[in-house]
Amino acid sequence: MRRIRVLVPLTVLLATVASLTACGEDSEPTPAGTSAPQTIAVTIEGDTIEPNGERIEVEIGQPVEFVVTADAEGELHVHSDPEQELAYEKGTTILEIGPFDKAGIVEVESHDQHATVVQLEVK
Amino acid sequence: MTPGGLSAHGIGGARDLPISPELAIAGAVAALTVSFTVLAVAWRTPRYDTATSGRPAPAWLGALVDSTGWKVGWRVVGFLLFCYTAMVAVFGKDLLTNPLFGIFYVWWWVGLVPLSLFLGPVWKAISPVRTINWLFAKATGGDPEIGLLRYPERLGYWPAAIGLYLFVWMELVYPYSTELGPVRLWCAAYVAVMLIGGALFGNDFYERADPFEAYSSLVAKLSVWARRDGALIVRSPLANLDSVVPRRGLVAVMAVLFGSTAFDSFHDSQHWIGFVQNSEFIADHSWGQQLAGNLTLLGFCLLVGAIFMIGTMATGVGPGTDRTALPALFAHSIIPIIVGYVVAHYLSYLIEGSQATLIKASDPFSNGSNWFGTADWSMSYYFAYHPTMLANIKVLAVVTGHVLGVIAAHDRAVKLLPRRHQLTGQLPLLFAMVGFTAGGLYLLFAS
Repeated sequence: MRRIRVLVPLTVLLATVASLTACGEDSEPTPAGTSAPQTIAVTIEGDTIEPNGERIEVEIGQPVEFVVTADAEGELHVHSDPEQELAYEKGTTILEIGPFDKAGIVEVESHDQHATVVQLEVK
Repeated sequence: MTPGGLSAHGIGGARDLPISPELAIAGAVAALTVSFTVLAVAWRTPRYDTATSGRPAPAWLGALVDSTGWKVGWRVVGFLLFCYTAMVAVFGKDLLTNPLFGIFYVWWWVGLVPLSLFLGPVWKAISPVRTINWLFAKATGGDPEIGLLRYPERLGYWPAAIGLYLFVWMELVYPYSTELGPVRLWCAAYVAVMLIGGALFGNDFYERADPFEAYSSLVAKLSVWARRDGALIVRSPLANLDSVVPRRGLVAVMAVLFGSTAFDSFHDSQHWIGFVQNSEFIADHSWGQQLAGNLTLLGFCLLVGAIFMIGTMATGVGPGTDRTALPALFAHSIIPIIVGYVVAHYLSYLIEGSQATLIKASDPFSNGSNWFGTADWSMSYYFAYHPTMLANIKVLAVVTGHVLGVIAAHDRAVKLLPRRHQLTGQLPLLFAMVGFTAGGLYLLFAS
């Protein structure tokens, strides 16, 4: 009897949690190339880099375009699967990545400045 | 990765999305409600008794796992894995395609948790350092159980706690965590310390001082498998958990495991990146970021340990009970909370990272070979395509771990505390646990 007395409220509670958390649909990847690219301006001067690690939302299937203005050549490292290196030149370079087909946080780092430039929140 | 790189876990590409605020709040509310429900309605006399709980496993299963073939077979598997790892560590290239990194950070560190949860003390069964120690002992006519000295009781789990800390330091703070030399050195030092320790203290040393065996065997206390008088028995995970031996340093092991996993979530968050990249101090000093990482990792572990110790000691005790012994006596109740949080934190990383490692394992020297036929396998990113389901699993894992922890702590409280302190004495620990769970959910939401 005691066992039942404990198990019943626990079961009810867990069921409540399960129903609370079970709402929401899983997104299926949408076909690529249907939306306008997310354009991100990146400025690199010496050791300073702008943006500075901010998070930017990107839709699944949306391409991303970096407009890099730099005072020296270098590379951006994109922690996607698989990882990608994007080289930019002195002056203005336009770099395109994506579209991403799955959800997640993709870090974009600058190796020369040892900094996270942006985190792309793909969803 | 470069010095100061901020990518997650040393290796890997994209990370999980944060869980939604609704989900985090729902989880926290559930944890809080369940906690007080347990306190209000659960049993008042202790239920779990290590000496009597459980029933014998089926005879054929007991005979199988006690057979020499089974034991030797798994030792051989562990030793082959060890030889392969040593081979890629010594002869492999210093590239991220070297499977060593995945073996070290994914298979060994993360993979051991689910294996131990389902199968029992896996590392004890396959540990190559135990095997080598056994071979040495047999070759010299000795007994691997006994060393030259007795393992000092006062050390307890402390060496394991330090070893675990050195691992998470390597993974999360050390800037060259994905270069071959440092990982190779770490592994070599581990093997050396384990072999010397085994020779000095016998198998007791592995039981208490091997960080991986301590971790694996403590997680295995949440499995259904146990042994009594040498015979295999099956019992509920909660009854099994009650059999954790409260050695010295157990609280430190718990604090390192939970604190470091929380730090891992935290150092992916916007707060941390914003702090590191905007701090003038860090910009002015090349070692500033290392210092910040070291202090924060240590701070997380100390904070978890301190909260737990205060939560367990802030109770009335009966005469003859030593208050300072209470944290170790309650420490087993943190194991399910750690396992729940580790599942939430590492599930997708384990699934993707272990596949990637299996693919890389076919090409140990990065020259395009395909030893095991896995090199051309493609990766499955199941959870990246089902982010809502992943988020739900994470919250369910955290809440389930919390519920098991609260029940384990309750049973221990009614066993240890005098009757009039049994309910009020549990409250501080309950608040500490709700704090751990809510903090864990917050980090899953904010990462």
